Amino acid sequence: MKRILKIYTLLAAQNLKRLMEYRADFLTGAVSFLIDQAIGIAFIFIIFTQIPQLAGFTFPQILFIYGLSQIPKGLDHLLTDNLWCVGYFIVRKGDFDKYLIRPINPLFHVIAETFQVDAIGELIVGIGLLIYAAPDAELHLSVWTVLLSVIAVPFAAMIYTSLKIMTSALAFWIKSSGFIIQMVYGMNEFSKYPTTIYSLPVRIFVTYIIPFAFTGYYLSLYLLTGENPLFNIGGVILVSSVLFVISVLIWNKGISAYESAGA
Amino acid sequence: MIYAEHLRKEFKKTVKEPGLKGSFKALFKPKKEIVVAASDISFHVPKGEILGFIGPNGAGKSTVIKMLTGILTPTSGQCRINGKIPQNDRKKYVKEIGAVFGQRTQLWWDLPLQETYNVLKEIYEVDDEKFKKRMAFLNEVLELEKFIKSPVRTLSLGQRMRADIAASMLHSPKVLFLDEPTIGLDVVVKDNIRQAIMKINKEEQTTVILTTHDISDIELLCDRIVMIDKGKNVYDGSLQKLRENFGQTRELVFETDNSANLTEELFRKGLKLDECDLVFENKKNNYKIRFNSAKIPVGEMLSYTLSLTKVKDISVKDADIEEIIRNLYRQGGASDE
Repeated sequence: MKRILKIYTLLAAQNLKRLMEYRADFLTGAVSFLIDQAIGIAFIFIIFTQIPQLAGFTFPQILFIYGLSQIPKGLDHLLTDNLWCVGYFIVRKGDFDKYLIRPINPLFHVIAETFQVDAIGELIVGIGLLIYAAPDAELHLSVWTVLLSVIAVPFAAMIYTSLKIMTSALAFWIKSSGFIIQMVYGMNEFSKYPTTIYSLPVRIFVTYIIPFAFTGYYLSLYLLTGENPLFNIGGVILVSSVLFVISVLIWNKGISAYESAGA
Repeated sequence: MIYAEHLRKEFKKTVKEPGLKGSFKALFKPKKEIVVAASDISFHVPKGEILGFIGPNGAGKSTVIKMLTGILTPTSGQCRINGKIPQNDRKKYVKEIGAVFGQRTQLWWDLPLQETYNVLKEIYEVDDEKFKKRMAFLNEVLELEKFIKSPVRTLSLGQRMRADIAASMLHSPKVLFLDEPTIGLDVVVKDNIRQAIMKINKEEQTTVILTTHDISDIELLCDRIVMIDKGKNVYDGSLQKLRENFGQTRELVFETDNSANLTEELFRKGLKLDECDLVFENKKNNYKIRFNSAKIPVGEMLSYTLSLTKVKDISVKDADIEEIIRNLYRQGGASDE
């Protein structure tokens, strides 16, 4: 475990050093991400000046759901962003070779290689919204609800990660899967709002098939109502664990199908 | 040390018609075709040997190297190195090997070279003292000192290749795979790299598998060669034996004073040789004849030529290894079709 952490910090540090090497690019990236987030928030405020309530939730509650949904998303974004590159070009160009000749787990190696600073934007916005909305959101705060929610957050992030692992691993067979990752990942938009605003098929889809509803809505629901921890929290943990196991199986199968690229 | 047994690797390929239209067609109705990159490759390399693994472009060399290093999983067949199967025992296995792919770098592109070594040190769990000794050794052999503080992207190709070889040697691997380590380098740098490979092999008994298109690499470094073509073994043995078996070819070059009108017919019929044993080339008054000296002794060939015409200049040369290999490639190709 100590070794894993050491290697992780080492590899992530290389990435940061690399970023610093190109200062102008790094700063532009950080600024553009802040602007991106600002637009996102402005958008919700505009919507809520028009609609006072949504599916029985008040404005602060909706903001709370939105804010909480950004935290697992940001965590995953911060830690596993390199999976996108696997889908887009690492496999296609044959650059995956190097991960297979190093004495570290290739999946871990890929993930450890990037520490995506841009994600701090999502985390700041998420936490900011939670702090801003919490006082008026009529939360059921207790040691239990808070503790269970905090435990569930990394699991919720793992739902993102697992979906990314699965979809990026498709590249081992079809060479380029970037757009598939994007399509599946894009569905996280559903996690920002109560699933009750969607029609039943969509609700079933985002709960049981691409389970993004667990990364935001169900997680918040527990803090908002204090009810049904078995589904709202247990569901997050179960779904994320199952998904993770499946994704690793697909990934490993993908490695044996890897074809490299002509030298 | 290294056993490769009946290695076979197939790739699935989508066949596309040319142009955008073809691409669209392939998108909806993909035509799959199986390409056999290696069909049946077997060989064995004992410890401490430098093996030249050669063959023409597209013969399957890189595919075999990638199977041996565990990057590709063979469709069938097996390789064992140090008793380990690369694909099953990856983490333990790769600690014992080093690999350099000439066309690709494993260095951190944007950072000073030293950083790469520092990271690899941790990845391969080399302790501080060993690391120091190792760096000193590699510095001495590969002369990294001048550019170790420069970002990798600013290195010249020769520097980068030396840096890559050092990176693959940092953890003192038992086996070193070098896939075209001298590609694109000038003569001096090539020589440096060959010296380094030799030194590493001698001092540490490192087994080396080397692919190359450069015949001098093979002549200077390799104890033995395995040649493949179209995914199959064509030759396996020492370089010397190759010369003995196939090296009977001599080259007779001469210039006549006027148009003596010598023809291939004349030589072939007069000496009773078929086209395998005599190749005839002629440009104006200059003639070049390659012949098999096992079938016709050099002296006889000379006197026969001189009996036909007056020559201004004449010489006989041993066929070089390049010629032999070219012949072998040709034969390998012919037997397959």
